[in-house]
Amino acid sequence: MTGNVRFNRSTLSGELPFRLITIAGVCIAVGLVAALVGVIFERSLILWPAEDLWTFITSSGWFGKVDESGAVTAAFGAWPMIWGTIVTSIIGIVVAAPVGIFAAIYLVELAPRRLAAPLTFLVEVVAAIPSVVVGLWALGELSPRLRDSVEWWVASSIGHLIPWLSEDPTQPSDTSVFRAGIVLAIMITPMVAAVSREVIRSVPQSLREGLVGMGATKWETIRLVILPTARVGLFGAALLAFGRAVGETIAVRLVIGMNITQVPPTLFQPGASIAAQIAGAYGEASTIEKGALAGLGLSLFLITLCISLLVRTLMWRSADKMRAKA
Amino acid sequence: MSRAEKTPTLIDFSLTPHDIRRRRVNQIMLGVIQTMAILAVVPLVAIFIVILSKGLPSLSVSYLLNAPLAEPRGIINAIQGSLVMTGIAIVASAPIGIAGGIYLNEYASERVSRLGELFIDIMLGIPSILAGLFVYFAIVPLLGHSGWAGSVALTVLMIPVVMRTTQEVIRLVPAGLREASLALGVPQWKTTVFVTCRTALSGIMTGIVLAISRGLGETAPLLLTSQSSNDTAINLGQPMSAMTVVIYQNATSSDPQIVASAWTTALVLFVLAFLLNVLVRFRTVNNRVV
Repeated sequence: MTGNVRFNRSTLSGELPFRLITIAGVCIAVGLVAALVGVIFERSLILWPAEDLWTFITSSGWFGKVDESGAVTAAFGAWPMIWGTIVTSIIGIVVAAPVGIFAAIYLVELAPRRLAAPLTFLVEVVAAIPSVVVGLWALGELSPRLRDSVEWWVASSIGHLIPWLSEDPTQPSDTSVFRAGIVLAIMITPMVAAVSREVIRSVPQSLREGLVGMGATKWETIRLVILPTARVGLFGAALLAFGRAVGETIAVRLVIGMNITQVPPTLFQPGASIAAQIAGAYGEASTIEKGALAGLGLSLFLITLCISLLVRTLMWRSADKMRAKA
Repeated sequence: MSRAEKTPTLIDFSLTPHDIRRRRVNQIMLGVIQTMAILAVVPLVAIFIVILSKGLPSLSVSYLLNAPLAEPRGIINAIQGSLVMTGIAIVASAPIGIAGGIYLNEYASERVSRLGELFIDIMLGIPSILAGLFVYFAIVPLLGHSGWAGSVALTVLMIPVVMRTTQEVIRLVPAGLREASLALGVPQWKTTVFVTCRTALSGIMTGIVLAISRGLGETAPLLLTSQSSNDTAINLGQPMSAMTVVIYQNATSSDPQIVASAWTTALVLFVLAFLLNVLVRFRTVNNRVV
C-alpha cells in the first residue's frame, strides 16, 4: 500500500485492530513459553544454595533434608535420570530411524499407488495413538514378551561378553531400560516415517529419471541419489523424533521401573527418566524436592530446545539443497 | 542388409556377472525395505487386536454412562472431564493459534516470519510434562488441582499445533487471490479474513481437529494439574478425571477387573483418536487447499 494511492478512513478502519489482534496471538504464545521457562527456572532456584549445578547433573541419589540449624542439605543427583533419558531415546532412535526411513522410502518409491495411501494412513494412525494406550499395551503385552525373547536371548548369548547386556537369567526384571527404549522406538517410528516421507517426496524427480535413464536399478537409484540428496532432511527427521522420545513420559514410566538412585549396571535392569521422575515424584515432594524436579524440568527443556534449534537449521539446509539441485 | 539375416550385435546384451550381482543386490535391498515397511505397521495391528480383544468384553452402554463408583462401574466422569477440559482448551487455543499464524504469514517481515517458524518448532517440541509442571507451579497453588488447571496445561500444548497448521495452509493460498481482492479495493484485513482464511478454512479446521486429538491423548500434564476425581458433576474448580489419567491409574492396579477396565477405556479413547484422524484425512483429501 505505497505510492500515490490514498485511503480514506473508512477503508482503513479495522486494519489496525485486526493487526493488533493477530500480533496479540503471537505475543500470548511467546508469553506463555516465556512464563513456562521463567516459572520452572524460578522454582529451581531454591535448590542451588544447597547444591551446585555440576553436582546436581553428575551425581546419583535422590533425597533432601533440613538439618537442626535449619540449613538445607540436599543430595539430588539427576545423573540416573539424565542417563536413562538419553539411553532410552538412543535405543529408540537406533531402532526407529532405519525402520521409519525405509518405510518412508517404500511409501514414496516402491509401493503400488493403490497401497501407498492406506499404508500412509495406517502409519499416521499409529502416530495418533495416545501414549498412555501404547504404555498400557507395553506394560501388559510387550514387556513380558521382550523379557522372555530378545532380552533373554541377548543376555544368554553375548551377555557374559558385554557386561551391560547381561542379566541374571534366574531373576529377570519386570521392568528395564531396554524395554523402555523399544517402546519409544514404536512410538516414534511413525513420526520418523511421516517426516522422512515429506523429505523424500521433495527430492527432485529429474534426479531419479537421470539414474533410471542410465540403467540403474531401483536400489541404486535409492542409494546413489535419493539417500544422498535427502540425507540432511532424513537426519533432521530422526533428530526430531529423538526430541519427542526425550520428552515422553507415561509410556516410559510404565515400563522403565523408576530406579532413581543409581545408573543400572545393565540395560536389562530398571532405570529412570527425567520426565517419568517428574510425573512420579511431584505428589509427595517437599519444597526442596520440588526445586530439584524443576531443575530436572529445566534440563529437559534445554535438551529439547537444542534439538528443536538443530532440527530447524537442518530442515532449512535440506530445503535449500533440494532447491539447488532441482 | 535384410532383417532376417543374423548379424553379430555390436552390444552384448547378455548379463555379465557384475549385472547379475547388481540385480541380486537390488532384489535383496527391496526386500529389506518392504520388511521395514511391514515392521512399521505391525505395532498398530498388534495394539489394535489386543485393545479390541481385552477392551470389548466389558464395553457397554452402562460402562460409558455410569459413575465410577456405581454398579456396574462406568467412566462417565472421565469422558466428561476429557471433553470439557479439551473443549475449554480448544476454545482458548484456536483463536490464539489462528491469529498468530495469520500474523506470521500475512504481516510479519521475512525475518520475523522465519523466527516465528523457529518459535513454533520450539513450542511444539516442549515435552508435555513441562506444560504440566509449569501449571503445577504457577496455577495449582492458586486454584488447586482443578479442571481449570488442566485446561490451561492443554492450552499451552494445543496453541502451537493450531498455529503451525494455520501458517502452513495460509501460505498455500495463491497470491493471485489476495491481489484480486486488494485490487478491488478490499482492505487488507478483510482480504485476509474473507479471502485468504476463507480459502484455507478446511486446512485451519484440520489444525483444530489435530489439536483436539492431541488434547484428548495427553496424560502427563493432566496428572500434575487436574488429577482425578470420582465426582460426576462437572465442576471446573475441583479435580477432574480424564480418560488418559484413568487408564494410567488403572493400568498398574493389581485387581484384574480394574486392569480390564483400563483396556476398555483405552478402546474408547483409541476409537475417538481414530475417528478424529479419519475426519482430518477425509477433510484434507476432499477439500485440498486450492
